[in-house]
Amino acid sequence: MARPGSMMLFVFPFLVALGAEAGPATELGEPMRPAEVRAGALLLEAAGGMRPAPTVSTDVEVRVTGLLARTRVVQRFRNPTAEWVEGVYVFPLPERSAVDALRMVVGERVLEGEIQTRAEAKATYQKARAEGRKATLLEQERPNIFTTSVANLGPGEEVEVAIEYQEELRYDAGVFSLRFPMVVGPRYIPGSVAVAGFGGTGWAQNTEQVPDAARVTPPVASSASERSHPATIRVELDAGFRLREIASPSHAVRVSAQAEDRYVVTLAEGPVPADSDFVLSWSPKVGEAPGAALFHEEREGESYVLLMVMPPEAQAAERARLPRETIFVVDTSGSMHGESIVQARAALGLALERLNPSDFFNVIAFANQPKRLFSESQPADPPSLARAKAWVQGLDANGGTELLPALRAALSGDAERSSVRQIVFITDGAVANEEALFAFIRANLGRSRLFTIGIGSAPNSHFMTKAAAFGRGTFSYIGSPSEVQSKMGALFAKLESPVLHDLEVSWDARGAEAWPNRLPDLYLGEPVVVAARLRSREGNVVLKGRRGDEDFVIDLSLEGGASENGVASFWARRKVAALMATLHEGAAMGDVKQAVAELGLRHHLVTRWTSLVAVDVTPTAPPDVELETRPVPTLLPKGWSLRHLFGGGDTEAAARARANPLRPSAPPPTTAAVTQPAALVTQGRLPQGATPAALLVWIGTACMAMGAAIWQLGRRP
Amino acid sequence: MNRLAATAACSLLAVGAASSGQGLWIHAKASLAQALLERAWARSLDGEARVLPWPWADTWPVARLLAPEQGQDVIVLAGASGRTLAFGPAHVAGTAPPGADDNVALAGHRDTHFRFLDELKVGDELRLETASGIRHYRVEETAVQHESQTGVLEPSGHAELTLITCYPFDSLVPGGPLRYVVRAAGMAPAPLAR
Repeated sequence: MARPGSMMLFVFPFLVALGAEAGPATELGEPMRPAEVRAGALLLEAAGGMRPAPTVSTDVEVRVTGLLARTRVVQRFRNPTAEWVEGVYVFPLPERSAVDALRMVVGERVLEGEIQTRAEAKATYQKARAEGRKATLLEQERPNIFTTSVANLGPGEEVEVAIEYQEELRYDAGVFSLRFPMVVGPRYIPGSVAVAGFGGTGWAQNTEQVPDAARVTPPVASSASERSHPATIRVELDAGFRLREIASPSHAVRVSAQAEDRYVVTLAEGPVPADSDFVLSWSPKVGEAPGAALFHEEREGESYVLLMVMPPEAQAAERARLPRETIFVVDTSGSMHGESIVQARAALGLALERLNPSDFFNVIAFANQPKRLFSESQPADPPSLARAKAWVQGLDANGGTELLPALRAALSGDAERSSVRQIVFITDGAVANEEALFAFIRANLGRSRLFTIGIGSAPNSHFMTKAAAFGRGTFSYIGSPSEVQSKMGALFAKLESPVLHDLEVSWDARGAEAWPNRLPDLYLGEPVVVAARLRSREGNVVLKGRRGDEDFVIDLSLEGGASENGVASFWARRKVAALMATLHEGAAMGDVKQAVAELGLRHHLVTRWTSLVAVDVTPTAPPDVELETRPVPTLLPKGWSLRHLFGGGDTEAAARARANPLRPSAPPPTTAAVTQPAALVTQGRLPQGATPAALLVWIGTACMAMGAAIWQLGRRP
Repeated sequence: MNRLAATAACSLLAVGAASSGQGLWIHAKASLAQALLERAWARSLDGEARVLPWPWADTWPVARLLAPEQGQDVIVLAGASGRTLAFGPAHVAGTAPPGADDNVALAGHRDTHFRFLDELKVGDELRLETASGIRHYRVEETAVQHESQTGVLEPSGHAELTLITCYPFDSLVPGGPLRYVVRAAGMAPAPLAR
């Protein structure tokens, strides 16, 4: 026997891993603690044995016309087993998308999805499921997360589900961009959020080792089964002007020109694994950038318009730069491990370079707790900057994502040192208590402005866009290390340039209903985007605002513009977002629900309270078949490591776990619902209900059996 | 006997015993706590609010759940946090309070207090006792769901009881993304008007 006894202890996690994962799906290279095992194992168990789950392939087709993009996502579910199953697939879509079509193709039959209230749709689906018909249901779980369920998938059978949505492109500093999210990042649910001030629920800290923390939704496929989610992407681009450049910072693409201003973009190397968001950006030739764009759609006797206006370039850019106080907050939680923390460090390094000696700054790093570089903001002189750079380079990613204490640390302590106070928040936003955080930002913003920077391959951009909106700042997304420089440069150009504020839009036409009804502050290079419903498309629209101390007015005629399908659903989606936002302002849940459901039904839109459902007419499954539900695993986003996600970090519990490897490391428990104000309970996820008792007894028994065996062997001559 | 082997054997035995002990302790804690909770619940029924079952507790009993067909009788605690669930099933904060004419959601561990959810069938009866009386429910639906399908926590506007636990029931490893959800509809007697 060559190994000392202490080494033996570390062998057990291996045993556990093997015991639980004898199935075909997983091969994780590293020794795992028991808490990590569930990554691949659960999926197998969910199938009631060691069998693989339905597989999915995804084809994405995007048609871009000017400012709008219509995307068709075709998912093919295949049942590789010999039983009748139900597949459930959780997937992300862009947070501003208006989902308005669902189509199911079974063999040669094409079934169109119908819009129903969520409860009705669910009932329709379940009835079909019980009757052995094929059915598919598309539900919205969060504004950017949807689930598709497919019932009665026969042995070896394939079903195709297509969904379509409309979104507005991002236009920023002369660059248009389109983003297709491919994976749902695992999210961290804080267990012991200090909810002082939130309804006085007073939930105590769950610092005790808690056996039942789930941090991953949906189940994460290990890298071995990576190829199970191939995706293809095709973008038809009709920009409306001649282009200077088309590029994808995320994937290798092939661009073929169809006409002077029309292009087709495809993936250069064929299908890719769906583990990294697809981004495509293009910019107009110099001098061809649009100053304003107008799209309209006539529907049911009403006109819907979508208006984009570039505020005039100003001499203001040359104006003297005001001294600023900038607080950088950087997420160093476990989900940032890998490429993300490297990007974050690079971004911070660049940001520090841009400071002037007359500026004040501080850096806060957070995981389970915020850590400040300086106890209060310091002038950006060379010694302080040198210290900051060294500190930033030493940052490592480990632990939970406790965002609230970090926000509190950043928003407090405004000593009014300078005229502008900006908070730059760098995170992947892998949190689930979003509502509590929005409420906190709203209540405590003061004169500070919050700018969020999304990092990594699957940031929670819904959270970061909304956080920036509540923080009256902007959201930028950095998808790869090569983008750090340009994105940070663009953000700083904004931070340094004067803002446009008090923006107001007024319409000549009577009965105009425009969304958003309150326009955010704008920075250099950002357009004003407004959707409106009008009785008739006549007269003018006037945009007023202030730049610094000057007023400016833009007057546009509503005649002309291009007719485009989808403007109405775009307007409805904006209105739904605005209605949902009123929940944070204390609007009654019942009223909002009714209004949102009505809009959803009228515009064929999937919302929190309306779903699309398609049902096959003829039953196909034999009667009396018990359907097994199989969640389809989502790939772990690129650059995330299982170990850091599940392993926890420098929490006390994890330290204990290291001291005793048989104790599962203790991620804080999942109590998302507990921390929510009453009306908003459905953000987050269902509570967990399992203890590791059986596992512990199993490991204990195995250890004792091995000990006894070694003892017996040792006694033999 | 080889000293190394003896050391290894002893460590293994000790670690094994400790681990099994910890596992059994989880079950012991689950039953022990219910005994203490019974007393606290009796006091709550006498009109005391927020009776702490033991002095350092951070939760208190809010209801008693009975499943007559399964012979189950458990005290329900406030707030479904991981720590609370070790002692008993708990009310999911943010859903309607027990006894209300709306969707009341309770969560529990699949290997202790909510083991019996596996045995509940459509049509079975459930009772929820609160300080304001006993409400009767009838099981209408059982389903396996993904944890992100939080629709079952939504207010429904009529008396409903939603029980949630982890799935699958006999999984060795805790922390999966699937939930077993039992929906029961409130039965007639309580609201007189209608």
